[in-house]
Amino acid sequence: MKRLELILSRLLWLVPTLIGLGVITFAISHVIPTDPVAILAGENATAEQIAALRTQLGFDRPLPVQLLAYFQDLLRGDMGVSLFSQQPIAEELATRLPATLELTFAAVLLASVLGIPLGVVSALRRNSAIDHALRIVTVSGLAIPSFWLAIQLQYLFAMQIGVAPLNGRIDGFGPEPVTGLMLLDSLLQWDWESFWGALRHIALPAITLALPAAATIARFTRAGVLEVVTSNYVLYERAMGLPGALVTWKYVLRNALISTVTQIGLIFGVLLSGAVVVEAVFDWPGLGAFAVISIIQSDHRAVMGFTLWAGAIFVIVNLIVDVLHTLIDPRSTR
Amino acid sequence: MSAPNHGFLAGAADIARRLLRDRAAMVGFTLILLLVLAAIFAPWLATHPNDVYEIHTARRLTPPGAEHWMGTDRMGADIYSRLLFGARITILIAVIAVGTAVLVGVPIGLVAGYYRNWFSDLLMRLSDIFLAVPQIVLAIAIAQTLGPSIENVILALSATYWPFWARLVYAETRSIKNETFVEAAIALGASAPRVMILHILPNIASAIIVRTSIGMGATILTAAALGFLGLGAPPPTPEWGRTIAESREYLPEAWWYALAPGIAIFLVVMGFNLLGDGLRDILDPRIRRGGRGP
Repeated sequence: MKRLELILSRLLWLVPTLIGLGVITFAISHVIPTDPVAILAGENATAEQIAALRTQLGFDRPLPVQLLAYFQDLLRGDMGVSLFSQQPIAEELATRLPATLELTFAAVLLASVLGIPLGVVSALRRNSAIDHALRIVTVSGLAIPSFWLAIQLQYLFAMQIGVAPLNGRIDGFGPEPVTGLMLLDSLLQWDWESFWGALRHIALPAITLALPAAATIARFTRAGVLEVVTSNYVLYERAMGLPGALVTWKYVLRNALISTVTQIGLIFGVLLSGAVVVEAVFDWPGLGAFAVISIIQSDHRAVMGFTLWAGAIFVIVNLIVDVLHTLIDPRSTR
Repeated sequence: MSAPNHGFLAGAADIARRLLRDRAAMVGFTLILLLVLAAIFAPWLATHPNDVYEIHTARRLTPPGAEHWMGTDRMGADIYSRLLFGARITILIAVIAVGTAVLVGVPIGLVAGYYRNWFSDLLMRLSDIFLAVPQIVLAIAIAQTLGPSIENVILALSATYWPFWARLVYAETRSIKNETFVEAAIALGASAPRVMILHILPNIASAIIVRTSIGMGATILTAAALGFLGLGAPPPTPEWGRTIAESREYLPEAWWYALAPGIAIFLVVMGFNLLGDGLRDILDPRIRRGGRGP
């Protein structure tokens, strides 16, 4: 029952967190030096026209009233209309979610496939040349500025070698949307041409995001395996004459990967809500690129909507990770 | 009456000795030292010190060579010279932003961890809200709102990073609050500020130092990302992130343009991460290696 309690208390905590986030984003977007109404009205608008537009948009009301009105709208699932695209923000975020989701899945998958074996090898060959080399690689992976890596990959693979496109998600229209994940949709429709196109487009942004993530995963896997390998029960199993490979893959990994799984979950949450810069460099039509566009255009409603959405995703993913953690590791429920 | 601490100087000497033996930490320390030296001696080390603000259209986008070791940029300025002056901005932003975050976060964590009342709950809930969004998202929103300048980047970074220290200090204070030496100090009538500053703080200092070293690396990365997005100091300033953003228009021809600033950011961040790792192994063996963020 401890687990249910944990879930319920965390779900309850989601509400004040989102309200708090709403207040913070509202506060930041209302101390701004630029006047969004003046920008929207255009350079040639008269003072009367700007004032009329301000009244029409409700920007002339006292701040607490505006805040309350914003929350009332939010409760109805209405995040307001983007000042520039004139589309409902909630709709825009929803249509952009699959692109970010697909990129995040691809990056996390790639990072796990790279990171876990590297971490295991590193731990089993502790202090060997391989371990030292991998340590340098993982430390480097965490220090590379992602936007710079993105540009270098674009330069090398898109401009020089030409194996991958410079940016975007697909050429042409892509497969008929079913799930919204293009790789999956094209597979479902046996549309190999779209699949190949989508794969070529997602490769560079996914690699950019996967590299630091793989470094994190490798480090946690290494630490986890090291801890388990030196534990008494592994010593016991070895002493009982169980084959080394069996001990490693069955008994060690299951226990060693607990913290790795948690990390993968956390990385998933961060990428889903925070892959802002990389999406912008690759013109990936996801949430992060939307955030950057909205910020450049001083579209406060859209920025608030994105921040709330990102916060909600992040909190929910972290909750799921915590619950998973109690499932894999019953000790953590206490 | 001091906390169980086997002499501060002896402790520091011991830590320094162990750090000297840690090769990775020494590499990190050297990288940071190089950054500091580059920043201090930039006017003397630079081959074209006036290029930070001057424009030479005749020699724009020159590839690396004997005259311009790392090539020139779109204004014809020497990239190597601008890189050295950029080190000053990097240090300025990282030190002030992290310093502010520590100065705000540590007292909040101490107070919230020391007392058990509605106010400490409120403080921690507040920091949880800040931690509920990825730091880069909040930093971008704040920096954009305030307008592009170095001061605003610093403000945005400290506003988003203080909760990391508040959370850490809170947890450490809570766990140390019930130790006998703290209870003894309270029983002897020491005032709350005295207990917090003289008895609790020295014992959680190592955790704060470790997190601060790694936090510097993370802050430099985020600051560079803000500069890249155009939210940092305005154009003639030789900020590394902005230089990388400028280079995009001149690819694939000017391949050297983004190379040096990118590698510079990478080496500096790696320096702080390596040093932080080494410090963690020595000062705080309970925490495992790994993880991202400060």
